[in-house]
Amino acid sequence: MENLQIPQPRPRNVVLLGCVLLVLLMLGAEGMRWMRGAHAAAQPTMSATRGAGPVTLTELSHTRIPAPKGMPSAHASSMTPLPGNRLLAFWWAGSRESGPDVKVFASTWANGAWSAPWVVASRESLGAALGYGVRRIGNPVAWTDRDGKIHLYVVATGLGGWAASRVAHIVSNDQGASFHVRRVLPTSPLFNTSALVRTSPLALGDGGWWLPVYFEIGNKYPMLMAFDAQGNPTSLARIGSSTSTLQPAIVPVSKTEVRALLRDDSEARRMQHATSHDGGASWQDLPALDLPNHNTSMAAIRLASGQFVMLYNHAADDASARSVLRLSISDDMRSWRTVADVASGKAGDEFSYPTLQQVGDELHITYTWQRQAIAHHRYRIHAEGTI
Amino acid sequence: MNLPDLSLQILYGRLGWAIVIATVVCALWRRAAPMSRVTLGFVIALSLAAVALPGDLSPAWSLGLAFQYPSGLLVGCCLLRLGERWQGIRRSQVMPQALAGVLAVSGTLLYLDAVGFLARGFYYAGFGAGLAPAMAVLGAAGCVLAIVRGHARGPAASLLGALVLFSLLRLPTGNLWDALLDPLLWGWAVATLLFGAVRRSGRRATDRIAAVEPESTTSSTPAPSLQPAAAEHFSSLKEQVSGK
Repeated sequence: MENLQIPQPRPRNVVLLGCVLLVLLMLGAEGMRWMRGAHAAAQPTMSATRGAGPVTLTELSHTRIPAPKGMPSAHASSMTPLPGNRLLAFWWAGSRESGPDVKVFASTWANGAWSAPWVVASRESLGAALGYGVRRIGNPVAWTDRDGKIHLYVVATGLGGWAASRVAHIVSNDQGASFHVRRVLPTSPLFNTSALVRTSPLALGDGGWWLPVYFEIGNKYPMLMAFDAQGNPTSLARIGSSTSTLQPAIVPVSKTEVRALLRDDSEARRMQHATSHDGGASWQDLPALDLPNHNTSMAAIRLASGQFVMLYNHAADDASARSVLRLSISDDMRSWRTVADVASGKAGDEFSYPTLQQVGDELHITYTWQRQAIAHHRYRIHAEGTI
Repeated sequence: MNLPDLSLQILYGRLGWAIVIATVVCALWRRAAPMSRVTLGFVIALSLAAVALPGDLSPAWSLGLAFQYPSGLLVGCCLLRLGERWQGIRRSQVMPQALAGVLAVSGTLLYLDAVGFLARGFYYAGFGAGLAPAMAVLGAAGCVLAIVRGHARGPAASLLGALVLFSLLRLPTGNLWDALLDPLLWGWAVATLLFGAVRRSGRRATDRIAAVEPESTTSSTPAPSLQPAAAEHFSSLKEQVSGK
């Protein structure tokens, strides 16, 4: 009897077919992504200059944001605007810095007063959403996108101190009442650690924004993560090549130039800065400014008038690094004149980690007051000649 | 910059850490007693069950806290090692010296850049929209070629798996570097190179002794018939060939 043999595919051919299919699948997936994502990088927006020209600032009020009960330590505030000339402030509070009970709190500024604070993130809530542990909670940085969603970036550490920090991106669709975790931002190949945020984002022309980030394990250097209008990261780049600067405060200087003011961790103890002329793709370090910086954080924004305001710790001879918080104004980001010392005390006092936000014709300032509370000052912005 | 969805990352993290844990447990198993397939299956099942536990009861909670996610290649190498154990292969081919060398050198450059000593932006390039995906596809094609030709099939399959995971799902983080390398895998590669170097130097010393001994024997009892024994000088190479 004749044996009919059905030809069997040889194992080698099956493997080859499977492998080729995988590579074709990869090619297809990458091709589709490439076609969807091909667009030019957006540039930072310049302020819509209303009544451009010199301005003066007059203080309207100062207060402290109500502290959560039983939380004697507070630090690192951030503000973002809400519709109707309202503001939302975020900061961390707890029994002590790095304590297990530290949480990120929020409060709304409306009708001339701050609301009672509420919790928006804790290590428990972040850990539950991420599926792995978070050891401690740190600086929050907030941004309102053009759809009104609040994006909050929160420092959440892995195993270790602040050098083991990661940045969690959480989002609110209800003006800060509740948040959901979107992801932890990928910033480093070293177990994704040692990336922190502190300073305010900057708006881009396409509705996206830049988030200033910084690295600190031994060396310290600033970075920039760009987001599209939907809040998806689009790129990550290092600012300059310094290894002793951090916490970049980024300001658009002209249509072609962006400047980053930098906290200085070197012996120079001067405010450092870097510039980019290609939309943040590459940065050059500039010589230090003639302004003191004893390793303290600063804030800077461009007003709608076109002028620049900066809030920084002025280290006078008879004071300590963080005991004087000075507000200065500039027309060109080179020469600065003092508007006021927003807070000043004796050596050892701390008025630090400032944040600035323009809402209408008012300039809002928050900062850490003696590591115990978040202080809030409000200035009226007058075009010169109107008062 | 295309990043994976958080839910996918969580799933990947749990499965990945389960495979890594099972591999480490197997590696710690007494070398004298070969692991049976039943025991190996039990270790893998136990690892999967452990990482599926909720919250901080899961080892993935603590491993994620410390290391976030294992790279795709680390998971691939661990899977390959488990496969070798399953087949009873004692001498592992998971990390050949060539792969270890590439991982050690590229990792050193990447980490020097990451900690700020260099400012080349190697890691950021791993998010790129053009070069990184192209490298992934080209790398995958190279792996396929190696598999079909039978060159280092195991490592090529691990690498292919990591690249496929990256291209299709952007796991683990959306960065090509994170698909191919992490500090744990880098440590494994460096350790492989070091052990390889120590083994080679030990072998050279043994060979030198072996070379000296026949000479002394020859001088004391000159017997021309024993001369071919000098060929045993290369016995270690023979072992290496037979081990493949």
